[in-house]
Amino acid sequence: MPAPRWLRSLALPSLLQAWPWLLVALALLGVRLSKGAGLADAYALLSRPFWPGTAQAEWLRSARRFEDTARIGALEAENVRLRGLIGLQQASPQRLTAPVIAREPAGWWQTLMLGRGSLQGVAEGQAVLAPGGLIGLVSGVTPSTSRVTLLTDPASRVGVWVGRTRHHGLLTGLGTPRPVVRFLEKDPGVVPGDVVTTSPASTLVPPDLPVGVIQSVDASADPAPEAVVQLAAPVGSVDWVQLLAR
Amino acid sequence: MALLSRHPWFAASILLAPLLTLAAPGWPRLAGVGPCWAILWLLPWALSEGRRSGVLAGAIVGLLLDSLHQGGVSEMPALMLLGWWWGRIGRLGSPVERSFSLGLLALLGTLVLDLTLALQWAVRSGLGGVSHLSSGAIDPALLAQPGWHLDDLAGAGLHGLLARALLTALLAPVLCSLQLLLWRQQGGGLGRR
Repeated sequence: MPAPRWLRSLALPSLLQAWPWLLVALALLGVRLSKGAGLADAYALLSRPFWPGTAQAEWLRSARRFEDTARIGALEAENVRLRGLIGLQQASPQRLTAPVIAREPAGWWQTLMLGRGSLQGVAEGQAVLAPGGLIGLVSGVTPSTSRVTLLTDPASRVGVWVGRTRHHGLLTGLGTPRPVVRFLEKDPGVVPGDVVTTSPASTLVPPDLPVGVIQSVDASADPAPEAVVQLAAPVGSVDWVQLLAR
Repeated sequence: MALLSRHPWFAASILLAPLLTLAAPGWPRLAGVGPCWAILWLLPWALSEGRRSGVLAGAIVGLLLDSLHQGGVSEMPALMLLGWWWGRIGRLGSPVERSFSLGLLALLGTLVLDLTLALQWAVRSGLGGVSHLSSGAIDPALLAQPGWHLDDLAGAGLHGLLARALLTALLAPVLCSLQLLLWRQQGGGLGRR
């Protein structure tokens, strides 16, 4: 019985002649089914020498820094205006740079001596900042020097809060490199890694200064839960500090 | 007081104790704690100069150090006591020269000095706690009296005390023997007076 006409037209020789087109059709089908993955990867491979280089990445970072600086400036201005409206202490007071001329970071007294005194406008109670955040408060002033009681000193007491949970606490020095926060609530809800800043409602120190990061939490401490804080600033090795006017 | 009568300006070396305390050089540190420079100066001075000069030097160096520190505790009583004790030892028996003896005296002196400080902190802590606990129903955590408390003294305080005493004792044979030699030479001979 002879084959039908349509089957004869698909004879093997004609198929052999059309195999390149079949391959192209199969490739296109593959591209379609993979949603262009092969095409995109091939393009990436071919165009790799022409990708944006590190110079462009640096431009982007620079632009990002500029944007961040502008945003911080605008937010600070707004913050000052809002704090002025509700009568709170200003967050961005004048800063005075001072060298560390003597230090006693361990032992019975944990203090720094700075090479700026009352002649330069330093007064007791001023907050002292190092790269990273708050490290202590001015506890004594002479005409040309000032003494800083570090946050690690047992005589140090500073009101702080954890921004994430909005819980206040009292940062207390223990004579060890890491002070503790004693919370005012029974369940402060803080976890290691939370950032500790000075209290926004503080009248002793400027608000919202970074202090450190919570390392561990002792929820069963009596009379209030405690958390050990790793200070953000390198207290033992800082050579220059900034004094914030009150 | 032969040295004071011959070379009164040597007494200016007493300023080394507060100046070195302020400078706090970084190399002699044990667990972050420096040595007790007052002990390292007072020990050879008292051994060489006797009781009266030792007590006087202890009082002066104590006053100088107290002026550098905040808080209501004082190093002066312990330093005066040590000055008297070491001055007495310097006048009894053979002169103290051996490294072990100097190290032991420095170790005991630093322990005495730091224990008197710890005792003063403990007394202040006890008194402060009583007065605040009776002040009402405010959270005691907020009312905690700043300063060293009993828990702190038993932890970080004891740690610092031991580190300071050990380091002072280690440095004493080197530094104190040199000073002893100098003071005795300048003060009229190495013999017993």
